[in-house]
Amino acid sequence: MRKRSGVLLGLLVALVLLAATAQAATHRAAVTNVTLAGWSSGPDEDALLNQVIAKFNATHKTIHAEFSVINGDYGTAMTARFAAHNPPDVFYVDSSVVGAWERQGVLQPLNSYVKTSKYDTSAFFPSLLGAFMSGKTIYGFPKDWSPLAMEVNKGMLGQAGGKAPTTWAQLQSVAQQMANKNVVPGGKPICLAADWARMLAFIYQGGGSLTNLTSPAVANAVSFYVGLISKGLAVTPDKLGAGWCGEALGKQKAAIIFEGNWLLPYMKSTYPNVQYGVFPMIKGKTGGNLAFTVSYSMAKDAQNKQAAWTLLSWLTSKQGQTIWMSKGLALPSRKDVKAIGGRQAFLSAAPFAHGWGFGNPNFATAYTVMNNDLAAVISGSKSVQSMLSDAAAALKG
Amino acid sequence: MATVSDAAPPPRSSMLGVRLREAGWGYAFVAVPIAVFGLFFIYPFGYAVYISFFHWGILGKQAGGSGTFNYSKVLHDPIFHTALKNVAEYTLGVVPLTMALGLSLALVINQKIRGRNFFRSAFYFPSIASSVAITTIALYIFNSDGLFNRIIGSQTPWFTTASKVTWAIVGLNTWTTSGTVMLYYLAGLQAISNDVYEAAALDNTSAWRTFWKITFPLLRPVHFFVLVVFGVGALKVFDQQFIVSGGAGGPNYSTYTPVLYIYRAAFSSFDFGLAAAAGVVYFVIIFAVTLVQNLTVGRREA
Repeated sequence: MRKRSGVLLGLLVALVLLAATAQAATHRAAVTNVTLAGWSSGPDEDALLNQVIAKFNATHKTIHAEFSVINGDYGTAMTARFAAHNPPDVFYVDSSVVGAWERQGVLQPLNSYVKTSKYDTSAFFPSLLGAFMSGKTIYGFPKDWSPLAMEVNKGMLGQAGGKAPTTWAQLQSVAQQMANKNVVPGGKPICLAADWARMLAFIYQGGGSLTNLTSPAVANAVSFYVGLISKGLAVTPDKLGAGWCGEALGKQKAAIIFEGNWLLPYMKSTYPNVQYGVFPMIKGKTGGNLAFTVSYSMAKDAQNKQAAWTLLSWLTSKQGQTIWMSKGLALPSRKDVKAIGGRQAFLSAAPFAHGWGFGNPNFATAYTVMNNDLAAVISGSKSVQSMLSDAAAALKG
Repeated sequence: MATVSDAAPPPRSSMLGVRLREAGWGYAFVAVPIAVFGLFFIYPFGYAVYISFFHWGILGKQAGGSGTFNYSKVLHDPIFHTALKNVAEYTLGVVPLTMALGLSLALVINQKIRGRNFFRSAFYFPSIASSVAITTIALYIFNSDGLFNRIIGSQTPWFTTASKVTWAIVGLNTWTTSGTVMLYYLAGLQAISNDVYEAAALDNTSAWRTFWKITFPLLRPVHFFVLVVFGVGALKVFDQQFIVSGGAGGPNYSTYTPVLYIYRAAFSSFDFGLAAAAGVVYFVIIFAVTLVQNLTVGRREA
């Protein structure tokens, strides 16, 4: 019995010694751990991000950054982490929820860090940085972005005259020609999602805006968008057996779609044989587009804010973003970082792009109402006017 | 023959001691589950009732005082009304269909047929498969150019057509849950004494009449159990609607269920007070439905 307790005691002493040396080791290097969290957009992007972080860790001896992917429902998972006062230090924030998260008080204002480290914010496209600002307060820096462009099946366009439309009128006439000549067998000339994340671009093109939904310009744009469907020139992707319009283009069930930069890697990996061209978004009365962007933001409850800022500012710096852009998975949010080739149609949208989220804290909630109503308008069970007044009310909260 | 002293009861006081000791052990055993129940059900429930009277965000109580404003918002919200209508339609569809299919399967399995173990496993299998996985695959099957439409020769996108989606989910869930219902009915069928069937056979009763006059009424306890358990389960439906609509309850609110309403209030609007109030309101509704079932179907059970 005594022998056994002696062995136990010895083990215990060894354990304590081990723990002490381990602690001493970390103390010697004085490394601060910073956690970075986000969702995964696929293995390519994960690999690239890990490459970026490896570069950060190699150049910053006192900070160790680690990326943890949050699988499943990102917003729900982050809500739980915020509520437990145990959020990751730095994380992705979609521009559509930044207003709501800011109002909940879980995001750290970054102005004081910008000031003390003399971080140059003028390098960012103003509409993108603006998506993460409330007044003059900055709640995140855009890590990348994408607007919408028009993607057209080359063969089908060739059969319909070969000239890509640039205006609403041309869009309608090209689609009409495609329909007349039955260029898209088993499909429709245009694929339009029952989604305000597409229709709102048309609303801006028609001279409307999200803040003035009851104006006639908005109703006109909605009528044009929904009218393309009711005229049989366009159709929602579900009617084409597709989950989204990109899949419809890939399956050659639609000739013209409006999607962002995310389409390009998708087509390359899933439908490499479909020949399509990327054209600037069409114009109505004016140019109008949406900027889908995601920031790196810091938690108000971050464990080590100074280290978190070092990581955040490096990731969004020219150096960090240059590595991030090397594969063309997204577009640079900084003017001083070049996009890889073939992205001109997207970049030309920058002056007309409105940050998706529009600084409205009710946006994410209202968006559900707006899309449910839009589906009803398309199926003919709701009027355009009542959708627009529902939307205006939901945006007010 | 035992002696008198052997049969005599022990003195009263020691009997009481034994009883007390037994009761003590009983309570000790019950204490653990009660503590778990209290910690994970009673406490959160009480807390939810508490926060339903406040503006409550991610980080806790917000400015704006207390009151019943969350309740009046829920009760006057047309989306909540739509959600109630949707779930009523779903429940009235899925529960009778599941019971009918489950009973039919049980009757088949209860016969002395070859390979009944195989059929029993085959019918039960969808119940143990993940509902998320099943729904995700169903998305492809019910696609506009999916397998189901190929078979019936249509092009309806079932999950994105407002008038069809509830029935598509009813069909899906009837299939997945009827295996479990079958097991309950099977147990019920085997509990019916053979004597009554023999008596019926002596009277030359037809199989059809035997079923409706003997089997079906004698299964009453199972009917009641299935009705309550699966009725409440149907009222709490969430995953299928969440997946087919991407969490948005569309198109045109056709997949909005009360539980999705609660989820969205909490995790999309971050209005935990509203979510809690909706939860309490819905608890009362489910409780009332169960009470009605108890008073109607359950009463004559004893």
